[in-house]
Amino acid sequence: MFSIGELFDWLTDAENWTGRYGLANLFVEHLTLTLVSLAIAGLLAIPIGVAIGQSGRGETLVIAISSASRAIPTMGLMFALVMFMGVEFRQFAVVLALVGIAIPPVLAGAYAGIKSIPIVIREGARAQGMTTLQQIRHVGLPLSASSIAGGFKIAYLQVVSTVVLAPLVGLGGLGFGVIQGLALRDFAQLTGSAVVIVLLSITGERLLAKAQGKLDRRLTQSKINR
Amino acid sequence: MTKPIKKSIKSAIALSAVAVLGLAGCAESSSEPLVIGSQAYYSNEIVAEVYAQVLEDAGYSVDRQFALGQRDVYVPALLAGEIDIFPEYTGNLLQYFDPEATATAEEDVYQALQAALPAGLTALALSGASDQDSYNVTSDFAMKNSLTSIGDLAGVTGIRLGGAPELAERPYGPTGLLSSYGVTVEFEATGDTTVESLVAGLIDMANVYSADPRIQQLGLVTLTDPQGLFLSSNLVPIASDAVNQEARDLISAVSSAMTAADLVALNVRSVDEQLSSAVIARDWLLSKGLID
Repeated sequence: MFSIGELFDWLTDAENWTGRYGLANLFVEHLTLTLVSLAIAGLLAIPIGVAIGQSGRGETLVIAISSASRAIPTMGLMFALVMFMGVEFRQFAVVLALVGIAIPPVLAGAYAGIKSIPIVIREGARAQGMTTLQQIRHVGLPLSASSIAGGFKIAYLQVVSTVVLAPLVGLGGLGFGVIQGLALRDFAQLTGSAVVIVLLSITGERLLAKAQGKLDRRLTQSKINR
Repeated sequence: MTKPIKKSIKSAIALSAVAVLGLAGCAESSSEPLVIGSQAYYSNEIVAEVYAQVLEDAGYSVDRQFALGQRDVYVPALLAGEIDIFPEYTGNLLQYFDPEATATAEEDVYQALQAALPAGLTALALSGASDQDSYNVTSDFAMKNSLTSIGDLAGVTGIRLGGAPELAERPYGPTGLLSSYGVTVEFEATGDTTVESLVAGLIDMANVYSADPRIQQLGLVTLTDPQGLFLSSNLVPIASDAVNQEARDLISAVSSAMTAADLVALNVRSVDEQLSSAVIARDWLLSKGLID
């Protein structure tokens, strides 16, 4: 009924890559939705996570948010927000839902990063007369960068896979080919789109893991050079 | 530690023996109940409930197996004789059995379906009620462009058509609109927010199921389809060989009595008044004098 050859043919057919609902356009839409959501989540969650880690106040909030996030039905959240805000603002509503999904892991990463800095280092920074902002900038952020990257890695995977649902509320993204292929029983399109989604997920995850590893190495090297 | 387990195994064996005896007793005492199935679609369930009540009123025992999901799931059960009666839609069912079918008009589809049904299944009387794809516009848009039929759109430019992603490739989608009516549209995949998008003005024309209560509630205008672009999909009861002639006649009578307006009204009651399908079905049967 369906072979790897058909999948290959579908993926290499230029016609499937062009046009409003072609793979190229859908890929850009998918990546844009993902990156915009991650950026907003980072802008919100990193300062909060760092502040909580630094001050030690509101730690229960981090735990509450990251456990609550496991229980959020992402598809339901997306639909509810689109219906609540109106279809005219569906782009905004979907990004909001995605930001909601991305915040918990980024927040947990930032908080855990600061928290894992040995107390002697943090106290040492303070003893040198650094202000709180200087402590964060010169000690906290560099030492927790790897943990923050780890948070982004988890958030990226969750967001990139949730964006697949966006066509259900009238937005684009690579989920279009999955939903259309399923309805039309076009298994080449369905699998082809799924392959692109998987590649996008794995590539992004690998890149973030690499960044995390690099930051980790820099951390250990700086210890040795001391 | 082992004793209570042994005991419970013993009682389980005893219980199952009783159950087997009980089942055997049932089979002897009364005839098998007729199994009525329905899709996991509220409108379909109401129709199935109508069939169930009319049979119960005539003294049949009925087993309701509602919300069975998609055709891929329940058609094999129908063929296996696990379900006896199912409310179906001519066009969609025809496409299931014969994807190459070309008939689109009401009668043609009904006849093609009868020919396409596998042995053991029969299509009973066709209902005038249909639940099929249709193109809808807002009343403002219809008035502004004086639209009644899909063909009236031929002179209008920049029409944005919204629907599920698969509409882009369906024969009645943008390609069919151009070849049958000379209408050029730009397709927007609006998914599950199609009706909302139409009302919000993000699209000009929307593909909505014809029995959707929102067409009435929002005052949408359904464009007529004189060229038969859409596959007709009327309600039709499908019966297995286990259903006797008297029961078939009863269901056929109900099917013929249900008009397009009736089906929409049943759906509206379900969505607006949140009534159970049992209440809606009973009220309708009473109003038609089909039960008393």
